[in-house]
Parts: sequence; structure tokens; C-alpha cells
Amino acid sequence: MVITGSAIYVQPGSGSTVLERLKEFPEVTFHVMSESGAEMVVNLEAEDHRALEVLCARLKEQIEEIVDITHVYVNFEDEIAKIRADKD
Amino acid sequence: MDITRRDMIKLSAAAFAAAALNIPFPGAVRSSDEGIEVDNWVKGTCRFCGTGCGVFVGVRKGQAVGIRGNPKADTNFGFLCVKGFKGYMSMYHPDRLLYPLVKGQDGTFKRVSWDQALDVVANKFKDLRQKHGKDSVAYYGSGQCMTEESYTFNKLWKGGLRSNMVEGNPRLCMASAVGGYVTTFGTDEPAGGYADIEKAKTYFIVGSNMSECHPIIFRRVARRKLADPDNINVIVCEPRMTTTARIADIWLPADPGTDLMVFHCMAREIIKNGWTDKWFIDNLCRFTTGAQDVDFNAYAQFIEQFTPEVVQKQTRCPAANIREAARLFATQGPTMSLWTMGLNQRTRGVWANNLVHNLHLITGNICRDGADSFSLTGQPNACGGVRETGTLCHLLPGTRPVANPAVRAQVEKAWNLPAGTIDPKPGFHTMEMFAKLGGEAEVSKPLKGMFITTTNPAQSLPNCHKYHKGMKDAFLVVADIFPTRTTQLADVILPAAFIYEKGGVYGCSERRSQITEKCVEPPGEAKADLWIAAQLAKRMGLEQLIPWNGNDAPAMYQKAWDDYRECVKLTEHTLYGITYDRLKKMDEGLQWPCPNEKHPGTLRRYVRGKDPIMDMPEIVKVPPQAHIYFYGDQKHEGRANVFLRPYKGPEEPPDPKDYPFFLTTGRVIEQWHSGTMTMRVPEIARSQPNAYVEINPQDAKQYGIKNGDLVKVVSRRGFNILPARVVKISLPGILFVPWFDQNWDRMINRVTIDAFDEGSKQPEFKICAARIERVGDPKDVADMTVISDVNAPFPDKV
Repeated sequence: MVITGSAIYVQPGSGSTVLERLKEFPEVTFHVMSESGAEMVVNLEAEDHRALEVLCARLKEQIEEIVDITHVYVNFEDEIAKIRADKD
Repeated sequence: MDITRRDMIKLSAAAFAAAALNIPFPGAVRSSDEGIEVDNWVKGTCRFCGTGCGVFVGVRKGQAVGIRGNPKADTNFGFLCVKGFKGYMSMYHPDRLLYPLVKGQDGTFKRVSWDQALDVVANKFKDLRQKHGKDSVAYYGSGQCMTEESYTFNKLWKGGLRSNMVEGNPRLCMASAVGGYVTTFGTDEPAGGYADIEKAKTYFIVGSNMSECHPIIFRRVARRKLADPDNINVIVCEPRMTTTARIADIWLPADPGTDLMVFHCMAREIIKNGWTDKWFIDNLCRFTTGAQDVDFNAYAQFIEQFTPEVVQKQTRCPAANIREAARLFATQGPTMSLWTMGLNQRTRGVWANNLVHNLHLITGNICRDGADSFSLTGQPNACGGVRETGTLCHLLPGTRPVANPAVRAQVEKAWNLPAGTIDPKPGFHTMEMFAKLGGEAEVSKPLKGMFITTTNPAQSLPNCHKYHKGMKDAFLVVADIFPTRTTQLADVILPAAFIYEKGGVYGCSERRSQITEKCVEPPGEAKADLWIAAQLAKRMGLEQLIPWNGNDAPAMYQKAWDDYRECVKLTEHTLYGITYDRLKKMDEGLQWPCPNEKHPGTLRRYVRGKDPIMDMPEIVKVPPQAHIYFYGDQKHEGRANVFLRPYKGPEEPPDPKDYPFFLTTGRVIEQWHSGTMTMRVPEIARSQPNAYVEINPQDAKQYGIKNGDLVKVVSRRGFNILPARVVKISLPGILFVPWFDQNWDRMINRVTIDAFDEGSKQPEFKICAARIERVGDPKDVADMTVISDVNAPFPDKV
């Protein structure tokens, strides 16, 4: 399981619209928006990195006001454990 | 309320993101480290480009289990790109080299002890030097080695072995930028730093797909543009409509190698419209052909030939775009230029750098907030580790020429060597080095042995196949973490430690040194490169010169760093005040010049009150009344050179009959260099599993090529077979191929040209002539090739 702390950049003035649309995505947890309304802090949850990439692509495709998504923290301890288990 | 572990991880992760965005975070966690189960977070630097992103590596039970950006790092403010997040996971890949290996009589590698391997290397190097002279054994390093490692190998070779046969892969990526800075300003590296990004109003991005190659820097630019789209201007000059060019107000799509005309044309427009900075020109510029100084009028007259219409005809860059770019550059400043390999990897790379500097000088767009002519480095420690330590054939520490007797005398004194020890004659530059590497019986090949670390020249050299035989025939020692195309040609393979398994200092594009602390132990018997260098020195009787040969890696790295600090103490590049203690305490590192332990580091060079060198007569004399003074000026007038460089195109322009296309190469966001690390991270490998050739739809139609078809890309040197990507990104007539793929059929450096810049000796990776032919229907080539077996045969006879 991958859990991120991410920033979603949105077009100026579209913060509330994006917020509403994000409710359609159970993998996204919203936390806080910047004063300018152009950046929001969220968690994204996905089965693995591949699924995370797919989720980001879907968000950008389906919510056109999203300019970009970037991750600041990615928790992937399970994946490291998996790599090491495969090795052993 | 019960909070689960998952909730805690989510809150902590969100707190990191909020901190990076500078948004007050109302979450329940008191500390953003709570909830994430690590024993400790260890401070470090990312190693996957030249940005120098600050990271924290989460360590639990002796293993790295997480990574996060450091929100207090001035380079990245906590943000990381895909490589930064995932690249380090390669350190746990089962292909890691774990034991020293020596090639046996039967041609296969055998596991040996470190003592045996080091004895083999030292004895062979001694034997070769005795038989073929002191310059018969070379060192070839990397912009990915730690500074202490490059410094130590440099000291060992130049001070201990008395040989300047020392090079590194920054010759392939940054040498023209060095040449540009040195010829224009008299000294290497930029005047400003990343902090100028937030103060600039116009960005001139040249030959750089920042969004893929320096995504964190691009984010800073894009954020500015997004916040104030009407007043922030972005100009992108490059032949592909990259993701970087998509945010541009003005795109200057010049054919590869023709942008020198565009730069001259912009200067012409600036002068014609009176957009110059007269004070700056009168007081701080010198106009020169290189051979002869001239005046401003001669310069204006020289560039008169580059009218927008003439330039459009020669370059395909629209005249109107050039005019508007010139206006924005000169009148909507402060203006910051940013570039990478598109400008450097050229036979006119130094000239191209000079002409960008020209634009800044004639408009006074330098030495003030937001205004700078800034070269972005491709590798994490090309600046700090190689340029600054002088680990190239013509340099000594402090980026000073080995040919200068005063510099040699100072370094000999610092290294406690008798006067006259250091050879005044530069060694071979990279391309000459590999051209002259060969077997003992080959009279025309004076180099008989080579120690290579942290790089993969068998894949990364242009026209690489030409050099494989020399590598195979010579006595080749390779220290690395994985098998590569180069280890396939080696005689001895030494298992090296990854950055987080040893620690050390990296110096990024903006003169900033940052420390990485050792996080975990290396696997198997892998060892830090510094230990390897010091053990080699010991076996060659040079223990006194390189005394940091103990097993305590952090302590040894600190000793090497202190030795380096002392050596460059009285130079313009002084980082004497950048001690390990300070670096460990600071989140953001320090920018040199930093002459003492109380100095806060230098954002802006050449400006009195901001640059300490301006008031250090023991290093350079600056007139007391001077506010801005280019103290590297060889004529001691404090001026920078504005060059009248004639136009000269690429070495191998397209030939309409046989090779009608420009071929250009580069990186993609997911992959790093030759893919040896990133291709071993499954998610990265899957997302970009193979190289491809980008073809414009117009060309594809003409050749009957559809998306995914297999296409043969042929140059005068070799060919690749690649799947086609039919896209409008490149102009018609231009092909693009990324160079990360290790698969023999898709190793694009079998096709590129090895011509190089006469000044910088940097090869022209970016431009050669090629033709294409369709050779098959679409086929799945997503094989994610890596060299896993050290005994796997080299794919072609060498």
C-alpha cells in the first residue's frame, strides 16, 4: 500500500470546484488549501506505485482544473519489504 | 478519538506536504515525524540530477524504508520528483555487486577477497607505469562521486602518481558551460543562485527540457508563471515542443546547432531598439573577437548580419518570435537564463554559452536579484565534485589550471609535496583518453590501464562502439554498484557503496555544498569509493599523501573534506568556512565563497557587500570604489567579455541525399543516465521500459511509418532499431531518441557523433545526421534490459 502527502495545483479560482469533484475519488483525502486557493494538500492512497500513477492520471484527466499533482512524501515501506522478501 | 496507524501516516504525510507548500497545517499531529515508523530520519541529498534536492531517508532496523523531501532545503523546499522518490529503492535490488571480482584465465569473473583484488590492481598499475611510463594509467570519475572521493582520486593521481591522466564524465555534460563561464567572466560557475528564480520576471530557457530533466527547478518556474501569468514571461529556445516549452509565451524552435544565430539576432534587436544598459556596457563589458579587443560599435556592426529574416531562413525560427523574445528579455526583466545539455553538448558549446552571457551583459541582467545567466548541471556533483576539486586533466583544486606555475606551487605546498612534483602538462581529455586506451602491445595506444568509478562509458560515450575495443584490451578496473556495459569490458570489478551507505558532500548547480550522512550499511562486502581510493594509495606507497584509509567511513570522509577545504582556502572558490559541523547542523547547506566559519555563504558573486572575495585582497585585488567587479578578468580590469563569435553550424548537418535528418538525444523524466539504477526500480522500468524514436507525423507519413513500427535509425557510425513514436513534439526533419536504454539495439550512442568542441572538448551528443527506414510492424520491445550477470558476453565482437 502506498500513501502519499501530495500537493494538487489548480487553476486560479477553481479551488471549490476541484474540492467538490475530489469527493468522487475515495482514494483522495483532502486536508487544507492555500490562501490563494491554487494549492491543496491531500493524501493519495493506492495499491502500489503503478496504481498511484494511474490515479494521478485519472485525476488530471477527469478534473480539468487540475494543473499538476506532486508528491512530497511517499510511504512505501511495504514495497521495500517486498523487494527484500523477493531477494531472500 | 482512536487514530489508527494508517491515519497517523496520512496525517504525517499531509503535514510534510503542507510544510513544503508553506501552508499552515491544522492536523492533529504535533510533529510531522509521528506516525511513520522509522528509527530515525537521516539528512541527505538526492543523487538523480544536479538540482541538489534535500531529503530525509527514513531508516528502520538498519534499512532505508522511506524518503521525504526536506522542507527547509533551499533547493527543493521539500518537493521531490519521481526519481527522487523511487530511485533509491534500487539499492536493494538483487543485482547489487557484493564482492570484488577478478577476471580469470577463462574470461569469467571469480570472487576474490578485497586484499586480493586491491593487490591485483595496485601491482598491475605499478607494472604498467614501470613499463610504459607514469602517464600510462588513467582515472575516469564521475559527477556522481562524492566530493571527497573525487578530491582523493585527483590528489592520488596528480600528487602521488605525478600524472594528470585524470578525467570524469562531467567532460561529457558540463565542460562547455565551464568554458563559457571562464572565457566570459574569467572564472567558473554562476554569479547567482536558485533564489533568483523567485525574483526573475522573464525566463530564457535554452536547450533544456527542465520539466523532465530538472523537474523541481521547473516547478519553481512554473509556479511563478501560474501565480502571475500576465507578468511573468517564459521564453523557450529549443527544437522540440517539450513539456517545458508548453508553458512558454514564446517558443524559439531553431534547428539543432543553429541557435547561435538566434542569440546574435536577439542581441541585434536589443541594440537596434535601444534596450541596452549603457552603464553596464561602459563600465563592466569588454568586446572581443577572442583574438582582439574591439569597441561596442564594432560589435553592433558584426551582429548586423543576423537580421530576423535571415536567421529565420537559416534556422526555421520565426522572425517575429525572435523579435518578441528580445523585447521580453531586455525590457521585462529581471531576466534569468537557464540551460543544460542542449547548449553544452555541441561542437560550438562554449560559443553558445558565450552568446547567452552576451545577452545578459549588454542588458545588465546579471549581478542583481532575479537576473542571472545560470547553467543547470546534469549530475548531482559535477560542480562540487569535479569542477571545483579540479578532477579533470587540466585542472587542480579550486578549478585552477594545472599549467599555471603559481597554482601548482600552492597545491604542492598544501599537499606537502616537493616543489615540481605536479606535472605542468595537462593529461588527455575524455575523448582523447578513450581513443588512446588499449592493450600493452599497441604502440599507438599510450594508455594501458584505467580506473573507472560511478560511470558507464561503454554506454555513455558518443560513438561508443569505437572505444569498446580499447576498453577491452586495456587493464580496466571498474567500481560500481551494478553490472553495466562497462563492467562487461573490465578486468577487475569492485563493489561500491550507494550514497546513503557512505555519506559525503555534494555541490549542486548553485555553488551549494550539502552533506549526506551515512544512513545504512552497504550490502555484502561493498565499500565506499573513498576507502577503495585510500587502500589503493596505501598499496602504491602513498599512505602519507592519502592517510584517510580507516574503516570508519564518516570520519574518513570528514578528513578528506578538511584536507580539501585547506587546499582551496585562498582561492576565489574558497569553502574554508563550510565545515562538516556546520553542514550537519544546517538544513540548506552553504554556498561558496565561504571564507570562514562565521560566513553565511554567498548568493551573489562579484557584488561588494554580498561577495566576500571583493574584500579579500589576499585572494584578488578589487578597487575600493567598485560595486560590481568581475574579478576573474584575466586583464585585471574587472570586465566580462562580450564575444563576437562567428556563426558555425554543427559538425555533421543533415545531408539531403543520404542522411536527411537531425538526430538529437536526451533524457526522460523517469530514467537516469544509462538506466543502471532507475531501470531496476520496477515502477520506473514499467513506465519507461525502452528507448524509442520520436518522429514528426509529416516525416512518418513520407516514410510509411506508423506509431509503434520498428524503425532503423542509421548514421555514418552505426544504427539502432527502435519503436516509432509519431508525435508533433519535434519539428519535421528532427528525430529524438532518449539514451537510457542498455539494450544493444537501442543504445543510441552507437549512432551519435564523437566530434567535440575545440575549447571545452565536450562532444556533440545533441546533433548528428541520420536516416530512417521502416523495418517492421509494431513489436513488444518493453524488455526493460539490464545487465544482470557480470559474465554475460558483450553483445558484439570487440
